[in-house]
Amino acid sequence: MRTRSLSAGRRIGDRLTSIAVGAALIAVAGCAGGSDSSSSSSRGAVVFWHGYTDQEGKAITQLGREWNTAHPDQKVNVTFAGSNDDALKKTLASFVSGKAPGVAYEYGSSIATLAKRNQTQNLTSLVRSTPSFNWNDFFPAARQGATTPDGGIYGIPALVDNLSLVYNKKLFDAAGISYPTPSWTWTDFQNAARKLTDESKRQFGWAYVNDGSEDTVWRFIALLWQAGGDLLTPDNKKAAFASPAGLSAMRLLHDMAVTDHSVYLDAGDQQYQNLFNSGKIAMLWTGPWDLSGINKNISYGTQFLPGKVTHATIAGPDNYMLFNKNDRDTAWAFLQWLNSPEIHLRFSIATGHLPLRQSETRLPGYQDFLERYPANKVFVENLEKNVTKSRPNIPAYPKISQVIGTAVQSVLLGKAQPQAALDQAREQVDQILAAGA
Amino acid sequence: MAGALVRPAPGTRAGPARRPRPRVRSRRPSRLHLILAPLAALMLAPLVWMVLLSISTQEETRRFPPGLPGGIRWQNYTAAWSEGPFGHWLLNSTIVTTGCVVSNLVLCSLAGYAFARIRFFGSRVVFVGVLATLMVPFQIVMLPTLIVMRGLHLVDTLGALMGPNLATPFGVFLMRQFFTTLPRELEEAARIDGAGRLRTLTRVLLPLMGPTLATLSVLTFLSIWNDFLWPLIAIQSPGNMTIQMGLQNFQGSHLTNWPVLMAGTVMSQIPVLVVFLIAQRFFVRSIAATGFR
Amino acid sequence: MTSVTSGMAARAARGDTAGHRPRRADHFAGWAFVSPAVLLIGLFGLVPVAWSMILSFQETDLTSPGTWTGAANYRQMVHDPVFWQAARHTVVYCALFVPITMTLAIPIAVLLNQKVRGITFYRMAVFVPLVTSTVATGVIFNWLYNPQFGPINAGLSKLGLPQQGFFQSSAQALPSVVGMTVWGWLGFAVIIYLSALQHVPRDLMEAAALDGCGRVRAFWRIELPLLAPASAFLLVWLTINALQLFDEVYVTTKGGPLHASTVLVYYLYQQAFVVFEGGYAAAIGTALFLVILVVTVVQLWLGRRSSPYEAG
Repeated sequence: MRTRSLSAGRRIGDRLTSIAVGAALIAVAGCAGGSDSSSSSSRGAVVFWHGYTDQEGKAITQLGREWNTAHPDQKVNVTFAGSNDDALKKTLASFVSGKAPGVAYEYGSSIATLAKRNQTQNLTSLVRSTPSFNWNDFFPAARQGATTPDGGIYGIPALVDNLSLVYNKKLFDAAGISYPTPSWTWTDFQNAARKLTDESKRQFGWAYVNDGSEDTVWRFIALLWQAGGDLLTPDNKKAAFASPAGLSAMRLLHDMAVTDHSVYLDAGDQQYQNLFNSGKIAMLWTGPWDLSGINKNISYGTQFLPGKVTHATIAGPDNYMLFNKNDRDTAWAFLQWLNSPEIHLRFSIATGHLPLRQSETRLPGYQDFLERYPANKVFVENLEKNVTKSRPNIPAYPKISQVIGTAVQSVLLGKAQPQAALDQAREQVDQILAAGA
Repeated sequence: MAGALVRPAPGTRAGPARRPRPRVRSRRPSRLHLILAPLAALMLAPLVWMVLLSISTQEETRRFPPGLPGGIRWQNYTAAWSEGPFGHWLLNSTIVTTGCVVSNLVLCSLAGYAFARIRFFGSRVVFVGVLATLMVPFQIVMLPTLIVMRGLHLVDTLGALMGPNLATPFGVFLMRQFFTTLPRELEEAARIDGAGRLRTLTRVLLPLMGPTLATLSVLTFLSIWNDFLWPLIAIQSPGNMTIQMGLQNFQGSHLTNWPVLMAGTVMSQIPVLVVFLIAQRFFVRSIAATGFR
Repeated sequence: MTSVTSGMAARAARGDTAGHRPRRADHFAGWAFVSPAVLLIGLFGLVPVAWSMILSFQETDLTSPGTWTGAANYRQMVHDPVFWQAARHTVVYCALFVPITMTLAIPIAVLLNQKVRGITFYRMAVFVPLVTSTVATGVIFNWLYNPQFGPINAGLSKLGLPQQGFFQSSAQALPSVVGMTVWGWLGFAVIIYLSALQHVPRDLMEAAALDGCGRVRAFWRIELPLLAPASAFLLVWLTINALQLFDEVYVTTKGGPLHASTVLVYYLYQQAFVVFEGGYAAAIGTALFLVILVVTVVQLWLGRRSSPYEAG
């Protein structure tokens, strides 16, 4: 105790010293941050980051090799850069470290954030001035996913998915229900789900991802569109989902989850896939990526989503984005080739990815694709017919998504009534949009 | 290195012969097994589960609730090994981890001893400052740390992985705490004999710190070996990837090949378990505890 | 018994009052010993921390210097209900996790310090959860806790007990995370205690045995007080980590349902990397820093008072 009081005066001195040292360090950090990031990799091949694994990884590596053989002066270094889930983090880090890749695979949701960066290349003029690239040949969903609301093109489509109804035929047979048709209504869907639910066998008609993430949100947006509603006003200035359409969508979720108990609420661990394989869930709203995870002993079918006003579905487009001015020409040449109808169709056949371009479906090889992935036919038709709208690519979208996710979750858990949940969400979204504008 | 640090110095009285030996007990198995066995089962469950997944077929892992595999598929292990440069990833991880463990043993012993036993100007503030570096979540300091790395031209090198871990607040704190458990008389006796501080530390005190140094080694090894986020951010070239980044190769964004991922994971954890097995041999009462007074 | 305890007390007393005045050589030696570690930690630790504090006064995306906004981020924080909710969850989590982990770890460490056949195996078993990646732990606990198909609820229904919601229930999500993290961290605390037990002088325990002091009493009287430095270490260390809980939430509940398990660092992560409010995230980080700093200093001070050997 004695020594402590003795040293009190000294400790103040220590503190002053430490503050001085801290200030010096901050100055150092400031210098490091201030110096401009220079582009790397101009010396050699263009670095192409992807998160493809397994079949996809093999296919992209093979294509990269082919390109490099044919274009020894425009080499591309196809590099696995970790899971796509971490792509944005890794890209941002590369901006900080000054070693941005020439091209990277990015989730569609990242485009609004990345488009604001100096490093991100605006591709509008390249795309517009290259008629042979045939931009309008891409499915609308793919084009929308690569474009910001001001019309700037910041990405080259890499993948386009959408949701369809995937159902277990055996469970339908057992319940004596006929398979879903393209003209199924919400009522047909809800009734079927109820009949396919069996408490004693712990069997559910439908599954809904209920972690409040975008996984929760995009299925709700599909419902909203099917009912004729939309998320925001056309100018993206105000919420538009607290409408009769929004209410009917929320009511459907409420009736099925809370009243009928016909929905398995997935906590976000994607267990619904395994439960589908175990015959515990009869219907999923999911995309082509889940099909390769369905076990061979499960006989399943795919169908358009049920409808109310329309049978709208929602697409999840991802992009290749360019981050390096010096690499731009080579990267652009490579991506033009990679996304040409013939080459992309080959990639699709190898991986089960949907075609990106309408013209791919007219190539002779497309029949091979359908033969190999018969269930994908519905998804491709969806791209042609039922993907008419897209999520707004605005910087505020992630915040809006969080609000909607919470609203949907509270309805599914029976913690809020549909109208109340919508009203509260509308208030918050309007606030976000007002602050962001 | 760990061995060198914890070897009993010639000056101390204890030799292996004085290792406490089990007293004569009845041959009946101890009743402690009744508590220890269920405890072990509870703790081992994930490892068992991982091993079971790693020998399953993909179809078997796609069931819920999960069941036992129908047979043993060792192919998953060969698939994991040959999918990428597994050996190379292991090598990178080993280089980084070993370097950091050795450096921590030395630097944290020095600093921990000084913080525990030397009263010097500013020691308390500096000590809290060391701990303070851990009080801002990594998610926030991750990108600023990268700025420091860029200033040092270490981005995308193994140096970037080692730098922040050469001396850890964990090691400094742990050593400081455990140096306070050694009786002061030991040190004072050595100093009266004319030994300098460094000599006292290396010849008298450190030999008594075997269990602590072993603990420091294991836990440092573990945390650096398992680190994922920092390598992901700091490393770009495939040649500099560590094992944890390599395991990402088996983890697709939509579909994960669980058997192969688990086979890779099990293989990647073997070095950690081996290090633990070696280290826990030092978990015997330190010699001095019996030799002293 | 008396001889043992009085000896200890004498030693402790000597330790406490050994406070000779520091000499110049001590200052020099102290700095020489700590400077390699301190410089490294300062370079790689302090600079980023200072940098992140600067960011907290800006509107920024964390990667490029942003615009100065003064204390706007802090004002926003004070009026943000989710922030306070997250702060409350963090405190509750910490208040449950730290004492439970430490209380469970001591008896297990004592057990693992016995001479029993196969003790190496048992020690390794306790170590295994530490080695297991958080992702794998998350998958396992998602299954164990699954309300419809998980084994825990299956067991409860066999016993005729009501079914629980665990991660999917607003009321139970946070306690469920506590259960998962105690399991995951127990091995860490046990190893620290186990190595601390090696420092308990054997002669003390033998003397206690000769004095006819029972094992249990010897533990309370001798071993437990000598574990104080280890306990002080664990208290500080587990608290620092508990207040920064993230990984386990990220791989299981994602902060839900309805924010029920949103803790501060998870909220901060969302702000930084989901909605890109880097400056706001840095402000949360700075606030958390100050809280942890105060808690740690208080804990260190308490630890010093309770330590048998430490000089004051």
